[in-house]
Amino acid sequence: MLHVLGLLAPALMPSWRFFREVAPSPRIEYALVSGPAEMPARWTEARPRPARLRPLAMLGRLFWNPGWNETLFLVSCAERMAERPTAHSTEEIRKRLARGLAEGEGVTEGLLRFRLVFVEHRGGRLRRHVIHVSGPLPLEPRPLDPRPFAPRPRR
Amino acid sequence: MSFETALRLTEVMMALCFLQQSAEHLAGYRDERRLFALRGLLCLPLLAGVATGWALAGLTVVALCALHRFQGPYNGGSDRMSLLILCCLDLAHLGAGTALAETALAYLAVQLTLSYVVSGQVKLANPDWRRGRALVEVFRFSAYPVSESLRGWAGRPRLLFAMSWGVMLFEVGFPLSLLHPVALAIGLALAASFHLANACLFGLNRFFWIWLAAWPALFWFQARLFG
Repeated sequence: MLHVLGLLAPALMPSWRFFREVAPSPRIEYALVSGPAEMPARWTEARPRPARLRPLAMLGRLFWNPGWNETLFLVSCAERMAERPTAHSTEEIRKRLARGLAEGEGVTEGLLRFRLVFVEHRGGRLRRHVIHVSGPLPLEPRPLDPRPFAPRPRR
Repeated sequence: MSFETALRLTEVMMALCFLQQSAEHLAGYRDERRLFALRGLLCLPLLAGVATGWALAGLTVVALCALHRFQGPYNGGSDRMSLLILCCLDLAHLGAGTALAETALAYLAVQLTLSYVVSGQVKLANPDWRRGRALVEVFRFSAYPVSESLRGWAGRPRLLFAMSWGVMLFEVGFPLSLLHPVALAIGLALAASFHLANACLFGLNRFFWIWLAAWPALFWFQARLFG
């Protein structure tokens, strides 16, 4: 409960420092792997943005924009993981990637890895830094790892 | 605008925002669907003006569950504004007929004003924003542009320099709009354009609606201070 109240506090006393600086920006990339030990050579960008979006489509997204809002949540998860990797953020990313694979390519079984690449503009060009590579994760649904939220055992 | 009208309008507009947000989650996972279906249901008495205190209390519990579910806000600043409005309405109902009610709505109006001022102030303090480079970087590589073609805007530094200064001057100058109802109408028209641009270019649709939902508090606050 204290933890949740801690999450509520920034909403009651917000800092409102939107876009104070343009920090390195995360991209999530994934690869299907055939075994737990395999480290993929090729990665695919998750949720690539469309090449173009017509003005009418942009206006339509004012009313219905679940896919993009989920993408922004994944950006938050990636930023959280850059600060402190947690089972929660890993699972949120895994299950959303897995659903994308199931709906887009019909792949529902096997293992995937994802990595977080942070992009920044420095020295006149875009630079990419891999800051996290996940372990092999199953595509099949599995319950959230309860460890971060489990109560302390009684002595 | 009277206090009662501002309070009621805020309730209705917030409920409509919550319905829109909740609908977007109904295509999600089972636990999300349950949580946001409940949230949507709780918006109905709020819209109808029936048992609004209980509906607000229920929405607050759901909001805390969502914070726990996503281990923080799902949608950053827009979720924080949603929570702020919700808690201010809770307090206004708890303190109905006392100074607490007016204080809660005034707090919302002050925070809404600060959301522009502080955001403008931190940009002005950053030389990259003053030179227009920050917005170039936003378009060049940030996660926000909704299409690849929008990344091409990074190659239009003069336009982005003008946009940067337009945004910063609007944000830091926003409190001046409280001085007169006409100034407030102009300030909020500019704010609406700003949020609409953010929604279209960066896909921040929830910001657009939830910031609008806090406006009645500002109309009341302006009249209370200078009316």
